[in-house]
Amino acid sequence: MASPLFTIFIILTTITAFAQKKATINGTVKDAVTGETLIGASVTLQEFSAVGTATNNYGFYSLSVTEGEYTLLFTCVGYNTIAQKVSLHKNQVVNISLSPQNGLQEVVVRAKRLSNENVVSPQMGVEKLNMSQINQVPVLLGERDILKTITLLPGIKSAGEGNTGFYVRGGGSDQNLILLDEAPIYNASHLLGFFSTFNSDAIKDVSIYKGGMPAEYGGRLSSVLDIKMNDGNDKDFAVQGGIGLISSRIKVEGPLVKDKGSFMVSARRTYIDLFLKLTTDTSIRGNSLYFYDVNAKANYHFDDKNAIYISGYLGKDVLALKNVLGTNWGNKTGTLRFNHLFSNSLFSNTSVIYSSYNFVVEGLQNAQSFKATSQINDINLKEDLQYSIGYQHTLKFGFNILQHDITPGDITSPKNSSYNERHVEKRYDFENALYASDEWNISKHLTFLYGLRLSGLFLMGPGTFKTYDDAGNTISSKTYYSRSNLVKKYINLEPRFTANYVIDDQNSIKASYNRNSQNIHLLSNSSSNTPTYLYVMSSNNIKPEIADQVSTGYFKNFSDNAYEFSTEVYYKWMQNQIDYKDGSQLLVNQDVESLLTYGTGRAYGIELFLKKKYGRFNGWIGYTLSRTERKFDDINNGHYYPARQDRTHDVSVVGIYQLNKRWAFSSTFIYGTGNAVTYPTGKYSSGGLTTFSYSQRNGRRLPSSNRLDIGATLDGKEHKRYHSSWTFSIYNVYAHRDPYSITFRDSKTVPNTTEAVETSIFATLIPSVTWNFNF
Amino acid sequence: MKTPLIYFMLLPFILSIISCNKVIDISLDNATDRLVIEGNITDELGPQTIKLNTNVAVSNTNTYPPVTGAMVTVNDQAGNVYKFTEGPAGTYITPKMIGVTGNTYTMNVVTNGKTYKASSVMPGLVALKYISSSKSSFNGIDGTRKITINYHDPKGVANQYNFLMYVNGVQVKRVFVNNDDFTDGNSVNFDLIENDIGINPGDKVTVEMQCIDKAMYTYWFALMQQNYTGPGGGVTPSDPPNNITPLVLGYFSAHTTQTKTITVK
Repeated sequence: MASPLFTIFIILTTITAFAQKKATINGTVKDAVTGETLIGASVTLQEFSAVGTATNNYGFYSLSVTEGEYTLLFTCVGYNTIAQKVSLHKNQVVNISLSPQNGLQEVVVRAKRLSNENVVSPQMGVEKLNMSQINQVPVLLGERDILKTITLLPGIKSAGEGNTGFYVRGGGSDQNLILLDEAPIYNASHLLGFFSTFNSDAIKDVSIYKGGMPAEYGGRLSSVLDIKMNDGNDKDFAVQGGIGLISSRIKVEGPLVKDKGSFMVSARRTYIDLFLKLTTDTSIRGNSLYFYDVNAKANYHFDDKNAIYISGYLGKDVLALKNVLGTNWGNKTGTLRFNHLFSNSLFSNTSVIYSSYNFVVEGLQNAQSFKATSQINDINLKEDLQYSIGYQHTLKFGFNILQHDITPGDITSPKNSSYNERHVEKRYDFENALYASDEWNISKHLTFLYGLRLSGLFLMGPGTFKTYDDAGNTISSKTYYSRSNLVKKYINLEPRFTANYVIDDQNSIKASYNRNSQNIHLLSNSSSNTPTYLYVMSSNNIKPEIADQVSTGYFKNFSDNAYEFSTEVYYKWMQNQIDYKDGSQLLVNQDVESLLTYGTGRAYGIELFLKKKYGRFNGWIGYTLSRTERKFDDINNGHYYPARQDRTHDVSVVGIYQLNKRWAFSSTFIYGTGNAVTYPTGKYSSGGLTTFSYSQRNGRRLPSSNRLDIGATLDGKEHKRYHSSWTFSIYNVYAHRDPYSITFRDSKTVPNTTEAVETSIFATLIPSVTWNFNF
Repeated sequence: MKTPLIYFMLLPFILSIISCNKVIDISLDNATDRLVIEGNITDELGPQTIKLNTNVAVSNTNTYPPVTGAMVTVNDQAGNVYKFTEGPAGTYITPKMIGVTGNTYTMNVVTNGKTYKASSVMPGLVALKYISSSKSSFNGIDGTRKITINYHDPKGVANQYNFLMYVNGVQVKRVFVNNDDFTDGNSVNFDLIENDIGINPGDKVTVEMQCIDKAMYTYWFALMQQNYTGPGGGVTPSDPPNNITPLVLGYFSAHTTQTKTITVK
């Protein structure tokens, strides 16, 4: 443990030695209308284009330069650029508010240059989405959806139609770290995956890291989706909402203390169940099918140096068949954060984070009643520090101590029930990490972003811990009696390195290597988004999953940075991947680890991305060519086979056009190679039933999928007091039948033969309309 | 938790409200002429049968070429050997044998110069108490019925059950298995939920209940999981794990058997 700390110390002292005869400017960049802090706004010197920085997650920036006269440029997508003259002879604070651009207005300051952050930043494999774009992309039933929108980016694939699961560069859907105000979200979907848990009204910023993972993130193999909630308007009270076909939402925000503190509460609920009540069929009327969620946040800035934020999320889904079965599931999170500025160049954030996911299944039939629950709880203490030394170094370092406790499954039942009570032992662990990274601007042309993350998993008692052999037989068993007993530990050192060679203002080449480890694993019997998520920790049997990724890319902007082009190539190796044996029953099973089997994976591909960020017409085209394979000893005779998430070609096109002040149109088109599937290669009879025999795992493909969605937004006439708009969308415009699965069964028409049946989820176009308002 | 688990497999039913199906033509690769052994030893005195044939292409009709001229025997742990002789082509029969609870039966099949072995333990009989029918909440709209069977699971021993259901003499194309992981020692109502044949009042429904050993439970359970491959459900299909070595298709099962028939109200 001592050596990384020592390294940090050495780096700090050496770097400080260089940082002389310089003055530091620091401050916060905000939205001029709402007072929301702006994340990722770039701050550069007009005189030296290579010198610059970007605001962090709290809108804070710090920049040290040699004393002199400068013009500071503050740039952020969707905002008017501000050029601020500073006479820099001593440290000073420059807080800036940027005013949002009217959508129609062409960029005024074109001559002054738009941000070329994507070219000059050493970070690669990252995509940031602009909320106003997300809000204009047409979606199913008008429910604006972050997760649906990110799957339109290259390298990120949807887990399937009507499913918010996503795969990043060949990783599984449980290998994404999804953070909402730093709290991990364990199940990011509502209604079996048709909608995501993120209400875009409450969201300020979305970033997804596909590679070149910064050292401050860890714990999952393939990606980090970092979502930040709105802080709330600290200038005026505002109410905004929408009434849609299946759901309505409302948001209230306003100042707690003007310009110092604000709050935001946002909620939505679906009402499909109200339609169920309209039917005359009594067996349908009693059924439930709805979800709701609430986001809330408040903040207070004591002064320029201290601020506190508190935020939370609560979501729940309820699905019930009257008198038969009830299920509900949901996430709860809470984040308390304290920002402190130790000096104008040392920024600190301390967070205490709570996160929980649980699901409940209830049997409601008299003699068969029971209640089964499963839960995962996290408590996390996290400290992140950011230290700018000169304009050459930005250091980030910190730690987190995360405690998981998992209740894998508990069944309770009344006395007369067929079901017995049953309790699978709870599990506790600590997932601790220590990290440090440095962004080092070596020269005008070369930047290194390098760091190290040390992650440790400490599985604690009490409980009985078994070790199983490959066949699933118990080979040893040991009982621990106290929570202070260490059962098993794993330490992983995760190097992260990215280099950026800036050829000129508009062109750069980047390369990165990173290692990630994962100690919490999702077991799911089903390829779909059922809520019966079962999380397990690394243990005597389950080793940490490890992924190593190398990637390189070329980044080019043209037409004064109005267009961004990038291409990235990646190769990823994955160790200790988990699958389960055939015929496994995973739920409420004390010996669930005896059913698992372990293998490796590899994924590689190339991503091409062309994006127009500004102007009346904007949007992007993404293309990915990739391959994702898995290898398990007892699957497919030990040979590599295409993973379910393997998709050779993936194309997405997004276009948004602002016709005039009132009308905006948008459209998306996607095309993807069909999923890798296993078709039978023969049949026989077993117990009187036609049974299929199989050869190669995932040796075939479903037909390719494609879909066109269109949307339009009509802004209401300007009123003094309020503003309203209509959003129209048509999902699946040409009613394409995207094959979801192909199954085989005894023919219903020709006896003694077999027929293939193709199932599509949405075989028609689905129109929708939403009315939005704010005042 | 077999029953709750089954309900989750039934999520496809909910999704099927919005999804749609179409019969399509598809060309498949073939890996045929694989040996299939289907051996059953029951607790009813009489002829016991072991069938040998090979699998065929999915596009063929459901007729399976018999494997003839094999040497087939079954012995128990006491050393009794039962010789199976070929009756109809590929069907090997011993005329008079009864499976006894607690006995381990080992099958030996020699064909094409290779020997295949499998063992299965005859479980104790658990009585099938009754069958009932009721309105199904899953298919509430069309008025069809669901069938529920009842038995009393013996306490303290692991039990596994396999059910075969026939509606007016036609077998329902579903696997129904259950064990007592969650119901040990209790009176159990088990719903035979299916969407293959709509069961209506007046239909004659017959249920065969088999008490099976653990290996056979895994075999049938794996097949049951693969039954539900519609939207929302579905595991990647593969050949279910069985008890025959070296590995071929099929199974060898010693099980008890009992049937009951009702007329659906």
